[in-house]
Amino acid sequence: MNVYAIAYKNLLRKKTRTALTAGGIMLSAWVLATLLGFNKGYQQGLNRDIDNMGFQVLLTAKGCPYEAATLMLKGGTGLRYMPESVVKTVFQNPEVEKVTPMLMHGVFDPNKGENGAVAAYLGVDAQSFPPMKPYLEFKQGGWFGSNTALEAVMGYEAAELETREVGDKLLIPGLDQEITVVGVLKRSGTQDDGTIFLPITAVQKLFNREGLLTGLGIKVKKEADISALENRLYDLPDVQVVSMAQVKTTIMNLVNSARVIVMGIAGIALIIAMAGVINTILMSVMERYAEIGIIKSMGAMPLDVFKMIWMETAILCGLGGAAGILLSAVTARLSEAAVRYFLPYAPNGALIALDGQITGFAFLLIVAGGLLSGVYPAWRAARVRPLEAIRIEGEQ
Amino acid sequence: MKKIFLALTALFLSAPAFAAVGCDLNDPDRDVARLFPGSTGYRTRYVSIKGSGGQPLLERVETRLGDKFKGLYETMDVPYTLYDIYKGKEVIGYIHGVNQKGEYGGIQVFLALDRAGLIKSFYIQKLTSRAARDLRAREFGSQFAGLALKDFEAYDPVAAKALPGSAPEKIKGPAKAGKDFAAVLRAVKKNLILLDEFVFSKKEK
Repeated sequence: MNVYAIAYKNLLRKKTRTALTAGGIMLSAWVLATLLGFNKGYQQGLNRDIDNMGFQVLLTAKGCPYEAATLMLKGGTGLRYMPESVVKTVFQNPEVEKVTPMLMHGVFDPNKGENGAVAAYLGVDAQSFPPMKPYLEFKQGGWFGSNTALEAVMGYEAAELETREVGDKLLIPGLDQEITVVGVLKRSGTQDDGTIFLPITAVQKLFNREGLLTGLGIKVKKEADISALENRLYDLPDVQVVSMAQVKTTIMNLVNSARVIVMGIAGIALIIAMAGVINTILMSVMERYAEIGIIKSMGAMPLDVFKMIWMETAILCGLGGAAGILLSAVTARLSEAAVRYFLPYAPNGALIALDGQITGFAFLLIVAGGLLSGVYPAWRAARVRPLEAIRIEGEQ
Repeated sequence: MKKIFLALTALFLSAPAFAAVGCDLNDPDRDVARLFPGSTGYRTRYVSIKGSGGQPLLERVETRLGDKFKGLYETMDVPYTLYDIYKGKEVIGYIHGVNQKGEYGGIQVFLALDRAGLIKSFYIQKLTSRAARDLRAREFGSQFAGLALKDFEAYDPVAAKALPGSAPEKIKGPAKAGKDFAAVLRAVKKNLILLDEFVFSKKEK
């Protein structure tokens, strides 16, 4: 019988104790793998959300609410405009690859709900906007033919709420103007789902905002220095620069602060599990004091005893660690739901990204921690003096 | 145990599912008190054709309606919000809303019914129409008070025709309402049929 088999059999002698210790290790591994997966998943999701915006920098008139949600909160008011000539000015910067002008307009509709609500329309350029949003796919139809057409493309949720399909009409409240729906987008999981897109020139004409924009999306060349571009854009009069990179950094800073605390908790869980391992193995060594003495009297060297006890720790940590990682994979969706419930902002897509690298790292960390905590009990066992151990057992 | 295991498996392994859009009151506390004077409380439940009878129920509803469920959004899995209205501990009626495709957008039509199935209040929560103001006016809504499912049974929503002398024929639509008036009548008939299937027929059984 080899040393692995003996170690395994020793663990099975006290099944409940072994199971409880392995359970503690499993929970530590679960917390560790889930947190590492969350760290990676959140960052990936945030990157994806920012990339899905299609542009890295958004230019708006100073104080302008640049999102439909903010516009709604402000009751459709508070929009500020910048001249269309800003497109040319921005294009002069060598870092700029593409730009897409946008004009948002909110109309109060008294026939939505008891007190009325705002219907928001986003005017976009038929040529430059679609390539900036390559992830948008159509459930029906396609983009409008020209920037002057009285046509609309509806996000999935907007179309669902208004029960609109391609060929149906929209009526702009207060204008008595009919618009034909030419496209319904598939659900994208972004704010575009609730947006009604109209051609930009049509929006300018319909709402008497010729030559004006509320936003300008800027896509920067791959190798370009975004900070340098942003600094130059800050110098433009009466515009605000919304840097998606900055938004990302701010969110990640917040998440990182929370992560330090959570990682601290994971560290404590790991230490508790290690203390449990030391306790279990040490107790096991004490209970087998005489037995170890007999093994040594039969010719086992201290290193053999050390290896046997250490192997018990390795098996315990290996099994507990593997079970914990399996648990983290099985409960990833549940953990994700909990995180989404508690976090004020969570990006779309999978929040807990468990891959081979993360699970491997968590497993190795748990096993390494376990092996470290097994050193002392194994050392104590290796130092047992055979005759003394047998005499003590005999006296008892 | 097996059911719990299946539920957990479904939760962990299923792809994210997006439910069809339902029809809820925007402010139930305020709206229930207004639509059902004298009520002291309400309980919200969610029902669907899919969950209450599936394809056979859908076919029965369509037959009774005299029209097919159509389009991208009028489907079997639409969740309907049903408000049981209480006075003290006693249920005194129901409020139920449906989405209906209108000429220029979705129309949300709510009916408040007493326990006998008679309409107490009619409310269009959301509507985009050239005659929106008139269709949402108290005068228009009051024409539905006291009517019941039997009054709409012969109404043909496809042709937008009611039997001469019948209650729907007597309901006067606003001049500019056009197709939206017919859409509202279809929504009322559909609402009454669904309430009958979800509530009144079940009580009889």
